[in-house]
Amino acid sequence: MEFLDNIFLYGTSIIRSIITWIGFDPAITNMIMAAVYTVAILVICTLVALFYVLYERKLAGFIQYRPGPNKLGPFGLFQTVADAVKLLTKEDIVPRNADKALHFLAPLFVFIPPILALGAIPFGNKLVAVDLNIGMLYILAVTSLSTIPFFLAGWSSNNKYTMLGAMRAVSQKISYEIPVIFSVLAITMIAGSLNMSEVVGMQGKLWFVFVQPLSFLIFFIAGIAETNRAPFDLPEGESELTAGYLTEYSGMKWALFFLAEYCSMFVFSAMATTLFLGGWLGPVLPGWMWFVLKVHVLMTVIIWIRWTFPRIRVDKLLEFNWKILIPASILNIFATGIGVYLFNNFF
Amino acid sequence: MRTQTYKINLGPQHPSTHGVLHVVLEIDGETIVGSETNIGYLHRGIEKLAENKKYPQVIPYTDRLDYLAGMSNNLLYVQTVEKMLGTEVPERASYIRVIIAELMRIANHMVGIGIYIMDLGAVTGVFYPFIQREHILDLFSKLCGSRMTFNYMRIGGVAVDIDEDFIRGTEIFLDQLPKMLHEYHTLVDENEIFLSRTKNIGKISKSQAESFGLTGPNLRASGLGYDLRKVAPYEVYDRFDFNIPVAYNGDCFDRYIVRMQEVEESIKIIRQAMAQLPQGEIKAKLPRIIKPEAGDCYHQAENPKGILGCYLVSDGTPKPYRVHFRRPSFNNISIFDEVAIGHKIADFIAIMASFDFVLGEVDA
Amino acid sequence: MFSFWGKGLLKGLSVTGKVIFRKNLTEEYPLVKPNIPSQWRGGFAYEKDKCIACGICVLECPNDAILLVKEKDENNKNVPKEYKINLGYCLSCGLCVESCPVNCIHFTKEFESATYLKKESVLDLFNNQNLEAERSTYGKPVEKKEEKEEGIL
Repeated sequence: MEFLDNIFLYGTSIIRSIITWIGFDPAITNMIMAAVYTVAILVICTLVALFYVLYERKLAGFIQYRPGPNKLGPFGLFQTVADAVKLLTKEDIVPRNADKALHFLAPLFVFIPPILALGAIPFGNKLVAVDLNIGMLYILAVTSLSTIPFFLAGWSSNNKYTMLGAMRAVSQKISYEIPVIFSVLAITMIAGSLNMSEVVGMQGKLWFVFVQPLSFLIFFIAGIAETNRAPFDLPEGESELTAGYLTEYSGMKWALFFLAEYCSMFVFSAMATTLFLGGWLGPVLPGWMWFVLKVHVLMTVIIWIRWTFPRIRVDKLLEFNWKILIPASILNIFATGIGVYLFNNFF
Repeated sequence: MRTQTYKINLGPQHPSTHGVLHVVLEIDGETIVGSETNIGYLHRGIEKLAENKKYPQVIPYTDRLDYLAGMSNNLLYVQTVEKMLGTEVPERASYIRVIIAELMRIANHMVGIGIYIMDLGAVTGVFYPFIQREHILDLFSKLCGSRMTFNYMRIGGVAVDIDEDFIRGTEIFLDQLPKMLHEYHTLVDENEIFLSRTKNIGKISKSQAESFGLTGPNLRASGLGYDLRKVAPYEVYDRFDFNIPVAYNGDCFDRYIVRMQEVEESIKIIRQAMAQLPQGEIKAKLPRIIKPEAGDCYHQAENPKGILGCYLVSDGTPKPYRVHFRRPSFNNISIFDEVAIGHKIADFIAIMASFDFVLGEVDA
Repeated sequence: MFSFWGKGLLKGLSVTGKVIFRKNLTEEYPLVKPNIPSQWRGGFAYEKDKCIACGICVLECPNDAILLVKEKDENNKNVPKEYKINLGYCLSCGLCVESCPVNCIHFTKEFESATYLKKESVLDLFNNQNLEAERSTYGKPVEKKEEKEEGIL
């Protein structure tokens, strides 16, 4: 049990000892280890994207009386790989009047925020690439960068539909960051720390979701909007804006956007797990397995929601944010503050 | 700050224009300030084609008008020719026609509702109704060998008699349909997002609906319960007990709910018709070559999408001089340019979807 | 029942959630052949020995898809010399099959009629009568009762 729990830590320490045994000096060893972590995060990113694309298609199929992809490999496991290969071989079409450089860069940028954010998320006890003191702040900061690639994509394509999609993306993402931050703030007030691992450690007795249910709800809703998932997938809005900011993308560039969506969903679910659902804590199973399980449940709910709800309208979306979510989260912060004060002084 | 409106082309290639409708929208931000609907991308010239066909040969072409309700189009055309000839249709054939037409209405509304919900963004909403439509198409393909282009109605009757298999299949289908309708109501009706997308969106007043010549569920959603099955019953519709669902707000939600209720009424009609189904001939005796006397004739019937009319001119030869169809979708979409103003793009999609038009019929 | 904002959303989720555990209805078409109904209007079969080359099918066809060339045999009777149906023009309306006075043209239950080349879509039924294909009962007088097919649902 102990061994399973720490299997990845053992792995990294073995790699570290091999490198020192070869005889590099400590500075270089640390750099190599950083590279190892980066590769590990990239692998996680890829696996997550590949798995959840398939999982979403399967679940969508089940919801719609279909089996989903089931021809390639057992349960259609290789379907995403086959799709990726197919997309790689597709012609890459760039509109004549597009800003070619930005059009090329946008799909590359879109992967950066989730990868950066994954670095500070604890997958298990001590299983974190960089255990930052200000982990929460860092993650919120890097995920807020994800607005830029969407706007780049929409702007550079030089198309009215993509432009509309980009405008929607900017207004939606920027305004929905506020409730996300506010709901995290409530957690910070209770935990008194910005360190992700410490926040998890404090949830041994009671998960924060039971202490802060409203905050969790706001975080969850705003998170779906942040990751552009239905019913908040307005920037894409395929029945209104053909494909929104993605209209002029084809082949692998499009696939990168598509895969990045799943990565940012994963990051968001991982954050929710860490902050509200007790991270890696849980009986019997190893910590990282609990973490993956909780994230998986959240991902399932997000996918389930996507295949049930209609798309919300753009003005209603912003109205919902500014008139309901933000006042509610501010009230929640007040209530939390009073609660924390009472708790510290009278109990 | 200087701002300006700009134009976007919604269609002819767009995921939610139901084919090849082309709408030029003038947009201020996301609000529509001007709209111009262009049609004609799917024009096949059925009116011209019909000039060179003999009377029975036009029937297969009518399937292609409103391709989601082929049977109803068949029915209207043969009724018009019968009216011209003065033919009495055998009673059994009349009952069969009603059963088939109402099944077709259910199938059409299933598509209409499904596509509507899908255009609002809930893709799953399209699958549940389509399964029901599939059952109906299975029944039809057992009956006449084709799933979409039926060519089933004949001048003076129907092509094939329905057998116990068909009746049993229809009963099984009707027994499980209410369960699905109930489930669908639960999925959609109270969904807050759906309500916010449809309530008070695309409102059409009663007088507006009348003056633009709207018919079918779109008219009945605006508060006017005008249904030819009640107003001027054809075939044997006067023998059945059924209601005409009417809603009074004229918004997108009402157009949805009227369709859902119409499906329930159709179930009633089919059940009654199957209970009363008499034995007998299914086709009137007619000469081999159909040659109506010179003259003209107009006939209309309540199709799933509205009133389909047929104007037939004969010059006494075996070929019609002119066959003109008054297509409900064509008249219904004429109101788009007026309704669109002031709404958001997303609302326009909802309005378009709620009208349940078919481009095959608009362009004929 | 008390109501709150979001109740409809939860109800919707309950519906789709239930469906996840139901049986799927997909027909895995190329692997499992569909059950073609007996009245199916698909391909054509033609009995040239029965044909009296009357030409009614050609007259009945709305789209001029049938080509019939006739000749006189030794008894001075009309017999077909050539019989082609251009599936590219055919509407599958069935008027030819219904009108045939000697029942020599039949629909078959074939349904995969896509071809690579345009010329392949013209069926040369005189030289390839396609008699071995399973015939549909469309347009034939009702005689024998077909064995019951599976229920529709």
